[in-house]
Amino acid sequence: MKKLCTVLVVLALAAGAAAAQTAVRYWYHLDDPNATIDNLIQKFQNENPTVTLQAERIPWGSYNQKLMTAVAANDAPDVFEVKLWWQPQLVEMGALAPIDSYLASWPLKSDVFPNVWQLTRYTDGTQYLMPYQMVILYLYYRTDLFKAAGLKPPATRDEFLDDARKLTHDGVYGFGMRGAAGGHDFWAAFVLSSGAQIFDKNGKSGLTSKAAIDANQWYIDLYRKWKVCPPTAPADGFKETIANMKSGKTAMTIHHFGSSAEMEAALGDKISAVPVPRGLMGSWTSFGDGELAIWSGSKVKDAAWKYLAFLGTAENNALWQKASGQVSINVSNGQTKEASSNRFMKATVDSASFAQILPAVPAVNDFVGTVWPATMQRALNGEISSEQMMKAFEDLFSRK
Amino acid sequence: MRISRARTDILPYVLLSPAVVATLLVVFVPIVQAASYSLMSFILWKPRARGFVFLANYRAMLSDPVFWISLKNSLVWIVGVVILQLLLGLGTALLLNREFAWRGLARALILIPWVTPSVLTALMWRWMYDGNAGVINDLLVRVGILKEYFPFLANGKTALGAIMVALMWQGFPFFAIMILAGLQAIPLELYEAAEVDGAGPGRKFFRVTLPLLVPVLFTAILLRIIWVANSLDIIFIMTEGGPGYSTYTLPLYSYLKAYRGMDFGYGSTLAVTITILLAAVVAFYVARTLKSGDQL
Repeated sequence: MKKLCTVLVVLALAAGAAAAQTAVRYWYHLDDPNATIDNLIQKFQNENPTVTLQAERIPWGSYNQKLMTAVAANDAPDVFEVKLWWQPQLVEMGALAPIDSYLASWPLKSDVFPNVWQLTRYTDGTQYLMPYQMVILYLYYRTDLFKAAGLKPPATRDEFLDDARKLTHDGVYGFGMRGAAGGHDFWAAFVLSSGAQIFDKNGKSGLTSKAAIDANQWYIDLYRKWKVCPPTAPADGFKETIANMKSGKTAMTIHHFGSSAEMEAALGDKISAVPVPRGLMGSWTSFGDGELAIWSGSKVKDAAWKYLAFLGTAENNALWQKASGQVSINVSNGQTKEASSNRFMKATVDSASFAQILPAVPAVNDFVGTVWPATMQRALNGEISSEQMMKAFEDLFSRK
Repeated sequence: MRISRARTDILPYVLLSPAVVATLLVVFVPIVQAASYSLMSFILWKPRARGFVFLANYRAMLSDPVFWISLKNSLVWIVGVVILQLLLGLGTALLLNREFAWRGLARALILIPWVTPSVLTALMWRWMYDGNAGVINDLLVRVGILKEYFPFLANGKTALGAIMVALMWQGFPFFAIMILAGLQAIPLELYEAAEVDGAGPGRKFFRVTLPLLVPVLFTAILLRIIWVANSLDIIFIMTEGGPGYSTYTLPLYSYLKAYRGMDFGYGSTLAVTITILLAAVVAFYVARTLKSGDQL
């Protein structure tokens, strides 16, 4: 009888504890199918025993679609991963809960790079997003091929073309261009640095000026005129550009720290990285981001914030970066010895001063997802001119 | 015990009702919903701008160059793929209808493309066409047809044709099996009678085989037109519509508009348009074939 009583008491306690548990639904993704964040989730559970984190890993290909439909169906997760360029649409949908009040009392705010706060703040001055990772696009190059040709890694657009032409021979191509979705980052590094602007200082289109059309023509010519890119470039996506670099098919390409480990594993010290070449008007490279947001409809916002704050601290953030292969947003993580001796990290840090994002307008989502790839591919295949291509972008960005 | 008259009258309806209700729920309701979305401004991320715009989406569609490109590609796609599948299927069926060793095995193996999941078929062909490491390029270069590797799926002139070949490969066993069944139903006496009358192989094919296959061909072609018109999985995996808009078909465009662009209004407009066009084609085809069937 005594034994039974004990069991009942334990059960009652357990039930009580369970009732006090707050469940937080969380959506995330990792590119590498072998990577996991189980250790991170476990650590969070240990530190926050009253919160149950229901983490769900969503394939990246359908992530945006799933998130948008979940928000529209009023059934979004409490915490979810966001890309900066989705922010205008999500704000328009009223999907994001402001986190300013939480941040005001968060002691570790100053350990996050100040320009990251600046880039992620919405145009209305509200902070909806909690940054947790960043990457900056840089130029990969094959040290051995450059050495054999007696070349130095390019610092300017002209040097880049010159090098690419000299490196293109015997089945090797100078530049692994990405013509499929995601390649807008490559395009922007050369075109938005040489006279084209999506919006100029006055908010007007800067895409169809002569300088802009010429800059775009220069980029198309890499493929059509100078033929320094593999013939498959219009259809090449992330997998293909990385695979071509690893297999020695290309001598240069653009990507970020996230692929440096696999590049090094394949090519050893034959690969290194430098900031993307300077254009006619300066440098432009893409700031690749990752943020967490709390759903405005969440009933457990306080518990959700606990996870945002957890991932924002240097130690936990470093654990995340181990799984994702990206760069920590914490100032203190950037100062570790490990970070400062890495050549790919150096190229990332050297690019930080000019890393930028596309303007925060809803059209960016269509631009990145469908309009840029389709229009770029048509221009690469000679179906439309540089001017028609830039006009198509102007039309998209001027649409209300 | 006798069952009353009234009960026997109701019974068929009672027995049918679960199927009818299920069909209404999973087919009819979504169709009505899609039709109503097509009259709305329904962009997922613009909840405040949602509302009826009546025919504005259809007007926008008629002046949308991508719609016309997709429509043209859809026509090439449907006519090309169905004809290719039919010819290859007919040839295969005639071969499989002959006596030869291991015929049973050959008949079973011919089904492999048909039972391979579309996703797998698409990935397989994508790698075979690959411009850097694809086996098709490798073979063509080795036999001297090509000088260097050609990016079949990255070139706007070849991408649609390349995907059509992949779909031909996937779909021809359906024709082969249907036609084979039709061939086996043709009584041998007819051929014997034709031979007695002095008909050669060509005459026998055109005067006996083909006319008697018409009902089978009719059903098979009709089904394939509908399936091929709606299939977008293989295109989506092989090119996502690219390069440019060169492999955009109407269903793919509708899908991309709805799920990439989150524009469910315009996406539905395109979907409803496909349905109307397809229904018109099918109705015309059925009417024509029934008429000629009467004359037989």
